Amino acid sequence: MFLQQLINGLMLGSTYSLIAIGYTLVMGLLQLLNIAHGDVFMFGAFLGLSFAMLNMPLYLSLIIGMAGAGIVSVLVERFCFRPLRKAHFLGPLVSTVAFGILLQNVATQIWGSEPSRFPQTTEVAQFQVGPVLISSIQIIILATSLILMVAMDLFVRKTRTGRAMRATSENPQTAGLLGVNVDRVIVGTFFVSGALAGAAGVLTALVYLQIIPFIGIRQGLIGMVAMVIGGLGNLRGAMIGGLMIGVIEVMNDAYLTAGYRDMIIFGLFFLFLMFRPEGLFGTTERQS
Amino acid sequence: MFGVRKKIIRVAIISCFLLLVLSFPKLADAQSIAGQEIRIGAAVPITGHGANVGKREAIGTQAAVDVINARGGVDGIPLKLYIEDTASNPQEGVNAVRKLASDHKVIAIVGPHYSSVAESTFPMGNRLKIVQIAVASSKPGLSEANRPYAFRNTLTEDKVADAVVREFKKRYNIKKVAIIADIKDAVAKGVGMDVLPPAFKAHGIEVLTGNNPVTFQTNDTQFTAQITKLKSMNPDGIGMGALGPDALNIITEARRQGMTQPFMSTAPLHEGDLPQKGGKAVEGTFSGTCWSPLVDTPESREFIEAYKRRQKTMYTGPYTENPDYYPVFAFDAVFMIVEAIKKMGVTNNSKDLETDREKIMKYLTILRDFKGVASRGFNEVGDGIKDVHVDEIKGGRWVLVKSK
Repeated sequence: MFLQQLINGLMLGSTYSLIAIGYTLVMGLLQLLNIAHGDVFMFGAFLGLSFAMLNMPLYLSLIIGMAGAGIVSVLVERFCFRPLRKAHFLGPLVSTVAFGILLQNVATQIWGSEPSRFPQTTEVAQFQVGPVLISSIQIIILATSLILMVAMDLFVRKTRTGRAMRATSENPQTAGLLGVNVDRVIVGTFFVSGALAGAAGVLTALVYLQIIPFIGIRQGLIGMVAMVIGGLGNLRGAMIGGLMIGVIEVMNDAYLTAGYRDMIIFGLFFLFLMFRPEGLFGTTERQS
Repeated sequence: MFGVRKKIIRVAIISCFLLLVLSFPKLADAQSIAGQEIRIGAAVPITGHGANVGKREAIGTQAAVDVINARGGVDGIPLKLYIEDTASNPQEGVNAVRKLASDHKVIAIVGPHYSSVAESTFPMGNRLKIVQIAVASSKPGLSEANRPYAFRNTLTEDKVADAVVREFKKRYNIKKVAIIADIKDAVAKGVGMDVLPPAFKAHGIEVLTGNNPVTFQTNDTQFTAQITKLKSMNPDGIGMGALGPDALNIITEARRQGMTQPFMSTAPLHEGDLPQKGGKAVEGTFSGTCWSPLVDTPESREFIEAYKRRQKTMYTGPYTENPDYYPVFAFDAVFMIVEAIKKMGVTNNSKDLETDREKIMKYLTILRDFKGVASRGFNEVGDGIKDVHVDEIKGGRWVLVKSK
């Protein structure tokens, strides 16, 4: 059973990773927390669900969920971060809290507060791999997350835009002087961050059987915990952090009891904040 | 000559005496119902999170009053129902009971709903010396702790579980079972942790999870870990301590992971539209209830007819259209009160209010063989006696397995 639970944990964790990456991108770039990120994830899930219910194939729902969430994320930047650049550093934070609540209420208006179920049209096939039984859904989720994370990693390290993003992260003024369009980089970062959250949303809806407009709250928190454990601003750290938390959560439910679940996860969060705030893999230092 | 006259006079006197005695009003007549109306109270949640079910209970209570009044009331005197809102919380519940007892001076109260509310109103009922017949309350020992005026026209889950387990075992030849339990919701937790394990053991079924069922929290979004664990135990069937919506997700995930075993639970499984939302996955799931519209008896039909007629003009809306067992219990409660009134010679005289209320309490205390829609009376601790109907999901709806 242990191997099987490990796979469950990795599957869950990969959705957490996608969310954590989004947080970390914005954190690394602007040294700010986007509290609305969890609700961007939620919106992506609902958009994907709506299109899936129109009997569109899964990959199409995924793309639409990602694109839609990306756009919502850009809106967050436009309304919560950009106008408050010169304000107190808590300004954007509070603003994103409000925006998040707004998103929850908009979602409730559109889709209702009753749980929405993902259509059970995709036939689930089971594959026996050694002692472990993997379902087609688990494969889809793990594969999609892996592809997205690897793509993200390559994008940031190899492409020009990726380099521009890292430069802006390190020092926005210098980057600007060197010809980087800082504003565009910021918008792009938010879009990518949102798109990943949207992907996480659609995949989560597949795992979770049903979604409500308020799932973003807990998912957002878990994403934050994963980010801290991995290392603030550290992309690879966020990926590992998310996977770790997924595995811990599943192992807890399997071997201990559901009551300890959040206690352990958030307990870990506090321990890291107190004793190793730079996370497992270190934070990205801003040089200014 | 004098002799005959004396005899005639004697006979005449005796006849007159006899006539006089015979013309005395009968003992029962001397205590026939006084007043213009008999007042009954209902303390149910019309607002708050219990609003939907509370309204159904109000309709059920009123429907009973309608039926009785249509038959001429009690000895020609009609019933009048007073409804006070408990707002789904103990503070308002206490206010509602006080108002019904002291302001409206009702003779007995149907309600409240929720153990948490009853915990506050039951002691008060004892102080005011007025009967409360709760129609929804599952916390064990609540009536027992509040004798003599507290009654609960509900069936404790252990009795439901016993019947369901028996049929479940018979149908699927269950020898070993695993249990999954909610650790948050009080009712689901109680079923999973306290009710199901002994129920299975009593039927000789091995409980693979022992004293540690697989756990989850109410409204959890995913159950992959829990199902994997259940699967690894290889049970013949699974017992759930879960509310409807969670049960739906549990069973769906189980089918996803390739489990084919059947599931069972008790009454809470009927909420959440499992047959409609679950599709093929939930076919063959077992549950139990004290009443469902499938139970086709004349009493049941009378209730449904009266309920639907009343629902057209009272709290009309989508959530009150279809009666479930709560308004049935309320309906039966009114009839039990009326039977008490008749059998105990309640006078309905305003001076006799306290003794009248006490008479009702005394009658209900020993009522064991009432012929209601879904009620047989109360046991020695004031909890309800009822029949259990086991049902299963078949063809997208609940279908009776066996009616007792």
